[in-house]
Amino acid sequence: MLIRILLLVALLAAPGVRPAFSHEGHSHGDEPAPPAAAAPRAEAHSELFEIVAVLGPDRRLWLYLDRHATSEPIDGATVQVTLDGEDLGTATRAGEAIYVLANPALERPGPRNLVFTITAGEDMDLLPATLEIPAAAGALTTAPASSELLSMALREPYLWAAGLFLLLLGVAIGRAAAPRPLPPLVVVEPPATATRPHALPSGAPMPERVAAAPAVVALLAVLLVPMIAWAQPMDAPRRQPDGSIFVPKPSQRLLGLRTGMAEPGEATIVVHLTGQVVADPNASGRVQASEAGRIEPPDGGFPALGQRVARGEVLGFVVPIMAAQDRVGVRANIAELDALIVIGEARVRRLTALTGTVSAREISDARAELEGLRQRRAANLPAVTGREPIVAPSAGLISVVRVAAGQVIQAQEPLFDIVDPARLWVEAIAFDPAAVVGASGASAVTASGQTLRLGFVGRGMTLRQQGLPLHFRIEGTAPGLAVGQPVTVLVETPRRAAGIVLPAEAVVRNPEGGQVVYEMPSAERFLPRPVRVQPLDGQRVLVTAGLERGARVVTSGAGLIAQVR
Amino acid sequence: MTQRRLLLASLTLVPFGVPFAARAHEPRRGPNGGQKVDIGTNHAELVAAGNTLRLFLFDGADRPIPAAGATAQAVILAGGRQATVALAPAGDNVLVGTGDFAAARGMRAVVTLTLPGQRPAQARFTPMDQN
Repeated sequence: MLIRILLLVALLAAPGVRPAFSHEGHSHGDEPAPPAAAAPRAEAHSELFEIVAVLGPDRRLWLYLDRHATSEPIDGATVQVTLDGEDLGTATRAGEAIYVLANPALERPGPRNLVFTITAGEDMDLLPATLEIPAAAGALTTAPASSELLSMALREPYLWAAGLFLLLLGVAIGRAAAPRPLPPLVVVEPPATATRPHALPSGAPMPERVAAAPAVVALLAVLLVPMIAWAQPMDAPRRQPDGSIFVPKPSQRLLGLRTGMAEPGEATIVVHLTGQVVADPNASGRVQASEAGRIEPPDGGFPALGQRVARGEVLGFVVPIMAAQDRVGVRANIAELDALIVIGEARVRRLTALTGTVSAREISDARAELEGLRQRRAANLPAVTGREPIVAPSAGLISVVRVAAGQVIQAQEPLFDIVDPARLWVEAIAFDPAAVVGASGASAVTASGQTLRLGFVGRGMTLRQQGLPLHFRIEGTAPGLAVGQPVTVLVETPRRAAGIVLPAEAVVRNPEGGQVVYEMPSAERFLPRPVRVQPLDGQRVLVTAGLERGARVVTSGAGLIAQVR
Repeated sequence: MTQRRLLLASLTLVPFGVPFAARAHEPRRGPNGGQKVDIGTNHAELVAAGNTLRLFLFDGADRPIPAAGATAQAVILAGGRQATVALAPAGDNVLVGTGDFAAARGMRAVVTLTLPGQRPAQARFTPMDQN
């Protein structure tokens, strides 16, 4: 039934569409209309403000006030409304940057001239608009007044007869297709005594309930309509047949939509390189064992991942391991040295007792020999009993731990990596070395969108895997980075290109896969503009074609507009 | 019959009309040194000086329209104050009115023009802001 009524309304509304009135190379009143199903609305804008007035189903005028250039809602403004020269008073605030006005003058049908006097802080402005007020509140959703219907029916008898016929046909089909109670499968014999009413066949509906159903529906409708009418008019965003997208102001507020003016500018051309975070070789270190041995923890235990260590700090000990034959050899050597030392000591004692009889040279020779033997013993001893400390080669955080207590390791085996998180580099690979010659600046973007400022360190002179390695220093603090993390490096070249600089968020893909930005020619209308885009850095893009200067472009929320069907 | 033709015409014209919704409605300088904008299907030029407003009327082809029988009302926002000025015919295609305002930079005016036998039309002027 509702669909039928809507069809009827659409049929009635269609002849009201007038062709655009044009003259002298430009046209008046050719602004594309909002969808026919949307509430009556008017809009106006100046350089400062943009106002949209929507006549709600409750005959109240809802006003949405924004900054024109940015589409930023303006809260706390004073909006005074004049209708055909008659002062309707000031609209009251109904929500954030939403104002509402109720006045009996808004019930007079026909085109009405509105003037808004807006005061927002220091800014004041006058905005005129024309609002087409429909005949009656009911006319918004139901058929027009009966006298109008009659006159229209007289003018177009055939069309109306056809419509009426279709309506009756629909009703007839509806009645024929209506579910009817099935006859009971088991015919219950009426009881012998008629004093038991609960034994009636259950398949037959109660006649009074069937009759009451339409009345209940009507009652519900009567009760619900005023409730719906108190809410602000919510028209659905939709794609128009001409390709533009109608997004009413309440929806724009929900999407957090913002715009910006397209201003031509100049920007440097940027080359994209793939790269990864590496450690600064002067602020990182790798701890390796110099000989095979068994690992022993220091007094405080092994350093944990992420622990800060100072340069020279002992991270562990390596106890050298030796083959049994080697160990026996060293022990035998030490025993022999011990014996020689005992003999040498006795000789020194004897000679010193005979000082004066023996020459001083002989005594000093014996002493030197004894000292040499002791040193040889001391040098041999650690081979069987000593352990080698492992020290941190630089200050920083422990980034890799590859040891466990008691583990036997080979020489050169990496044990710990130390990285200073404040001093990280980015290594990028340039496959076209000529493109990055004379790079003036660089930045990097991580997969999560974090932007890093980079300073050029140097470039290699040898190709590695067909690419030229470039090193950049990360400037400033960049928390949350890890060595090995992939990044996109954007290298600014000295070449420049002219175009319109927009935030990267403004460019979205249309269903065909092309890149578009959404222009906002009027307050609730959006036009997709196919553009040619060149990325500048992580946040900005350069539109080199497809957009005119001064166009108002959606900078935030464009992706949500693209999803309107 | 005519309605059906109009419907057809509107349906066929709408797609063509859209690309030509050109930016021709921008205010421009008029022959009398004021600002000329579109008002309804016509053009009007507003000249503000001191506390006097002069409104020159032109048709869509910029030919002067006789002002006789026309009435106009201007709402003016100047210097943070709002004033209403009634304009009356005073010449071939001129309506003149004075009010309690002083024309200054930043002045805005909304003129409601009623030509004889036509609906009132509105236009917004910033007569002092052009170069």
